[in-house]
Amino acid sequence: MHTTTRLLLALTILLALCAGAGAEERLKMSTTTSTQDSGLLRVLLPPFEKENHCKVDVIAVGTGQAIKLGEAGDVDVVFVHARKMEDKFVADGYGVNRRDVMYNDFVVIGPKDDPAGVAKAKTAAEALKMIAAKQATFISRGDKSGTHIKEKELWQAAGAEPKGNWYVDAGQGMGPVITMATERQGYTLADRGTYNAFKGQKTNLVILFQGEKGLFNPYGVIAVNPRKFPHVKYDLAMRFVDFVTGPEGQRIIAGYKAHGEPVFFIYKK
Amino acid sequence: MEPLYRLKNLRKCYGSREVLAIEDLSIREGGIYTLTGPNGSGKSTLLGILAFLSPPTTGEVLFAGESVAWNPRSLLSLRRNATLLHQAPYLFDTSVRGNITFGLKTRGLTAGEQQRRVAEALEMVDLVGFEKRKARELSGGEVQRVALARALALKPRVLLLDEPLANVDRKCAELLVEVIISLPARGTSVIVSTHDPAHRHRFGGNRIHLVAGRPAVPPHHAHGPGLTEPEAG
Amino acid sequence: MDFFVESFHTAFGLIAAGDPDVMNAVTVSIVVSFWSTLFAALAGIPAGVVIGVADFPGKRGMVTLLNTLMALPTVVVGLFVYSLISRQGPFGAYGLLFTPEAMVIGQTVLAVPIMANFTLSAIKGADPRIVPTALTLGAGPFGSICRLTIELRFGIMAAVIAGFGRVIAEVGVAMMLGGNIRGYTRTMTTAIAMETGKGEFALGLALGLILMTVALVVNLFLNLLQQR
Repeated sequence: MHTTTRLLLALTILLALCAGAGAEERLKMSTTTSTQDSGLLRVLLPPFEKENHCKVDVIAVGTGQAIKLGEAGDVDVVFVHARKMEDKFVADGYGVNRRDVMYNDFVVIGPKDDPAGVAKAKTAAEALKMIAAKQATFISRGDKSGTHIKEKELWQAAGAEPKGNWYVDAGQGMGPVITMATERQGYTLADRGTYNAFKGQKTNLVILFQGEKGLFNPYGVIAVNPRKFPHVKYDLAMRFVDFVTGPEGQRIIAGYKAHGEPVFFIYKK
Repeated sequence: MEPLYRLKNLRKCYGSREVLAIEDLSIREGGIYTLTGPNGSGKSTLLGILAFLSPPTTGEVLFAGESVAWNPRSLLSLRRNATLLHQAPYLFDTSVRGNITFGLKTRGLTAGEQQRRVAEALEMVDLVGFEKRKARELSGGEVQRVALARALALKPRVLLLDEPLANVDRKCAELLVEVIISLPARGTSVIVSTHDPAHRHRFGGNRIHLVAGRPAVPPHHAHGPGLTEPEAG
Repeated sequence: MDFFVESFHTAFGLIAAGDPDVMNAVTVSIVVSFWSTLFAALAGIPAGVVIGVADFPGKRGMVTLLNTLMALPTVVVGLFVYSLISRQGPFGAYGLLFTPEAMVIGQTVLAVPIMANFTLSAIKGADPRIVPTALTLGAGPFGSICRLTIELRFGIMAAVIAGFGRVIAEVGVAMMLGGNIRGYTRTMTTAIAMETGKGEFALGLALGLILMTVALVVNLFLNLLQQR
């Protein structure tokens, strides 16, 4: 029985150490899986953590859940890319001090042989209209994410209702959707960052439409309202907001490259 | 002197089936009683009641003159007086010593005293040095003997044995009979059920014969020495 | 199919390099699973013993309920505990969400029905002579049930092993209540889910291989204990 007792003791100490490691201040931030998967946070957060002697707990979930966490007061700051939902979040009193941080864009990707002829489209909406007309396979995020909301706007602008076996409502994040589109050799609307991460090894789909103003994908950071949730770490959250919109944070964002290409762009001041 | 056990208007039923019905039975202390009867006559049930393991459906049991109240507190001390050895005894999955000290531990004996009793009991059943052996590795006869040793170590006031010689070879049976016969002299009364008339004669003592749950006259013409009918009143 | 081979290479590479993210995730997995298995055993095994040994009205309904709880999806358990410990929930003030403690709570809830059910099975299959033997040798009802539990230690150890297996392999609770926070609440399983989402199948499988190795080592240890 001695060995078992010793093992239990060792594990207790280990857990105590783990708990002790959390002794510094922790800032809870909800964001989207694509933001986390882009890898930006791994270079953006450490300087902030060091300067402020804190740890940023990144909870990467779907956009809807990220916003919900803010609405529940379960996080201190929200960092997403869904402008309409962000505005509602602030208007409803859950968030304060929303600031633009960076942007990238959406692209329409699909199989190289482009059965719907999307490459010839003049606008993104027209591209989707062509896909609907051809009844070519289209994978939708289906998860109320920024990407999904943009996709719905485009269908509306195209005057086409996406219904039928060709339209696949995946209900998943960007990565799994690109994987699914690759398997089915179908089309989808993706953010450039995630697409770039998948390009080459993980997908053989290509960009068939890009560059339109309407495919603009802006990111915003919002502090959770301390008046609604007195327990949130408002000061630290605001320091984070100031950091990512300040010179050092913006420099890191602009300089971040994945697979040799920039992923995000900063606004000209 | 008060009888050790007195059973009055005792009935035991399982559902609607009456298994035991004894109007008046006394069992005296200091000797051996043999319990006989065909299969299903209620022998095991009676032993279970005498061991205070299961209460009668109706009726009264007096032990050493005191009426038995079948509640957990009084049962705990009563069970320390009477120990039952099952027909096919169960040994705990531990060593021989562990089995024998199980009951001793509940009686608050010192480690030294426990050690002594273990050695003494194993000697009685001719299993000297078996302390460390694993119960699961014993032969059938050894199991029977360890179970008996386990009961003997407790030095109970009365030992109840349910067909202890049923599944053992002749040599082992001989040994067990010798031990059982020696018990009253050591201060333990014995009630033992058995099928074998030869063994019954060896045990001697008084006889309780059950037929369909009731005391009855045994079907023999030949009466061995010391053989009497169940006592009444 | 090639990502099978690739993942073996990746797995060895990660272990050999002592990759800190992987080591961290392994540690979190083990520590969280250890505590939740322990707490679940402390609650579930006595519960299983009591349900098995006692006779009470509604016993059959209780057993059916236990069986049903075994089929609880992990994400449902996660949601349930989330609703309790979120700031909006009754225990929100403790700020438990997105901590290892929250994962322990959720996984304990997950494992208790398993421990109870396996223990109950062991009790039901137990030799009916055990308790009467203990009683006649002078043990009280509590002492007899303790002895019963010790006699059934093999089956009860199986309960612990089953419970441990369930918690170390699950994703739903860990993700929902831990938040997959790197270096803090990221377990092997949430890391695998994340990497798979990123399309990193080989890496995901490699992490899976490492997880299975860890589980193997722990089970070897538990089996040794079981044989004693």
